Amino acid sequence: MLRLLNHIFKTGCKSQKEFFPNLPEYAQGLPCLNDSAQCKSGCDECVSVCPTNAIEHTDSKIKLDLGACINCSLCIETCPTGAIQKSLSTKTACVKREQLILPEVSKIQEEPNQKGLFQKSLSVRVVSTGCSACDLEIGAAFNPIFDASRFGVNFVASPRTADALLVTGPCPKGMQDALLRTYEAMPGPKLVIACGTCAISGGVHKNGYADANGLESLLKIDVYIPGCPPHPWSIIHGLSTAMKLKGS
Amino acid sequence: MIPHLVPLEFSRVQSYVKGFLEKEMTRIGLMTSISGNEIVLLLLDPVSSRSELVWTVLNDKNYSSLAGQIPQLHWFERSIKDMFDLTPLNHPRLRSNFIQNAFDSNLIPLSNDNEKDSGNSQRNFRFMKVFGEGIYEVPVGPVHAGIIEPGHFRLSCFGEYIQNLELRFGFLHRGLEKNILRMPLQKMCFAAEAASSDTACANALAHAMAIESILQIEVSKQDALCRNAALELERAAMHINDIGGMALDLGCLSVATTLSRLRGTVLGLAEQLTGSRLIRGYIKVGGVYFRPKPNFRELKKTIEDIEQEFTCIVNWFLENAQVLERLSQVGKVSHNLAVDFGFVGVVARASGIDYDVRKNFTTPSFPSDVHKVAHEKDGDCLARTRVRTYELVNSLEILRFLFSELNEVNFECNQKSFLPDKLPTNSIAFGIVESFRGELIHFIKTDDEGKIERYAIKDPSFNNWTGMAICARGNLLADFPVCNKSFALSYSGHDL
Repeated sequence: MLRLLNHIFKTGCKSQKEFFPNLPEYAQGLPCLNDSAQCKSGCDECVSVCPTNAIEHTDSKIKLDLGACINCSLCIETCPTGAIQKSLSTKTACVKREQLILPEVSKIQEEPNQKGLFQKSLSVRVVSTGCSACDLEIGAAFNPIFDASRFGVNFVASPRTADALLVTGPCPKGMQDALLRTYEAMPGPKLVIACGTCAISGGVHKNGYADANGLESLLKIDVYIPGCPPHPWSIIHGLSTAMKLKGS
Repeated sequence: MIPHLVPLEFSRVQSYVKGFLEKEMTRIGLMTSISGNEIVLLLLDPVSSRSELVWTVLNDKNYSSLAGQIPQLHWFERSIKDMFDLTPLNHPRLRSNFIQNAFDSNLIPLSNDNEKDSGNSQRNFRFMKVFGEGIYEVPVGPVHAGIIEPGHFRLSCFGEYIQNLELRFGFLHRGLEKNILRMPLQKMCFAAEAASSDTACANALAHAMAIESILQIEVSKQDALCRNAALELERAAMHINDIGGMALDLGCLSVATTLSRLRGTVLGLAEQLTGSRLIRGYIKVGGVYFRPKPNFRELKKTIEDIEQEFTCIVNWFLENAQVLERLSQVGKVSHNLAVDFGFVGVVARASGIDYDVRKNFTTPSFPSDVHKVAHEKDGDCLARTRVRTYELVNSLEILRFLFSELNEVNFECNQKSFLPDKLPTNSIAFGIVESFRGELIHFIKTDDEGKIERYAIKDPSFNNWTGMAICARGNLLADFPVCNKSFALSYSGHDL
């Protein structure tokens, strides 16, 4: 026991001091549009390589849906003009589905002054309906490096004591009943957070016979966290965005 | 790999397969159907690294079950019933694996004739009930207390002892084996990866291997080294995660948090090598996606640090009297049970089966003396945890070797490989990989036009879940989480 205690003391505090740092240069981030570079006319490279058809190309304008993107970075690599670039920001969560579609039509401002109900503490019930990548990253968000607990977030086992429902995965048919019953068991006011591309749009699973098209048709989503899977800092960003909201 | 094709009449299949299984270590890799008119069995002989594909045409929608004589087929026959509506007559315990109440009762996902009314009477899932005074049932899931995937366990208990454990899956059934067919070949790897993303690298590798053996593509030395390194990084990260999970379940919180931090370090290495923490979108057919060359000397140094810290922590963990008391003689899987049901990976090696795909089927880029296959005899939770620990330490050794090799290689950006739209017609191939859970198989059959007609995925969990259900019997209810954790199986890989 003393050996173990000695080891822990020697290790010291390993939590990252800087909040929401950018991803390292070599990481695959979500794509973003470069306003200064123009799209080559008649070029459909990015549209053809996208595995989830997240990119539309009309009148030499690109429409990129981050809610369907699985950050494979193929579009970034194939784009001949650099109109699509890598975004290294980890502050990716947002509250409206429209904000995920690039370019944003009208910049919707976050409401920083709004006093949220869950400002000091947020109890989260995670329901996984997917391939476990997001679950692992949520688990990682609570490890000593990212330590989401220091922001006032904690996980609860019972939906009765939860403020927010954090859903991962594309919500296939088999899981819909259990998911909705978990939501109903939560007391109001409550929040729904969709974590990961599958939960937002179904990702690679959409339009199958198992109705794995994401959470949108089932529940009203309050916070969207894009990414496949989102980085732990992005998940924490989503949770802290949720803390500013009122819930319904 | 390309299996040797053996067409057989159905009446001869049982004796042929039983004869095959009498040889040492032989096993069944996969049993499925292609379009609902035939049954194929992939037979593996690890000793001689050979594989056979028994192909038998059915005249009817019913066939007499093989599971009574060959127990490792029982789970496969259930899946074939779900996906193709081929009924195994006299199956010992037929019930649905994936397609349950939530789905339309006429749905036969992979069958060609959609109009046919299946009249599927097995769709309402029924648990086996244990009767008697004082017997009570404990339902667990599908929404679990922790952050894990959904699945349902029904425990029938008498006093504190588990009499029977029933598993119910299918909550995560996303129809992947059908969805993947409508994707173009170039994008298929992304769906293959999503079968189970904690094994993303192994899934992508199995997919690539299957297509490469059809197209007869050779992988360059540098790419092979990178692939091996990525696979070992995934294994290291997930084994640390599972040992940490075990520590958490046993209440050793300091060990659990230290290991979760170490896992973060390994994920950081994976991100430097592949650009993704969970090694997604890295392995492609013909090689790997090019990422800038990391400083391999630094990576090697980090691996050494991890090794040192991990050994210090895990020695304390596995010598602790409380931990030994809690794990030994709990959840025993006997050697015979493991052979009969064809368990794979850590579970099999903890019960004395010396089977590792890296040694038996594939030729990895590291010499065989670097790779030591760990095995134990006891088959209990402690043996599984020990095997996992040895394997992790060995993975780190392999990584050290691979990183020093990669340091020597002149890191070049290889040309983009262009996949053809169509594959050679009527060809069959499979990719086999030792993922961190065990043997993972991706099986491909192309049709007359060169399109993929059937894409079957066999996750190691598919074999091993039966072991979990059987070994929980006779144990304390409070030991069930420990049992479950020592197996560390995937739900999404099973449900597809």
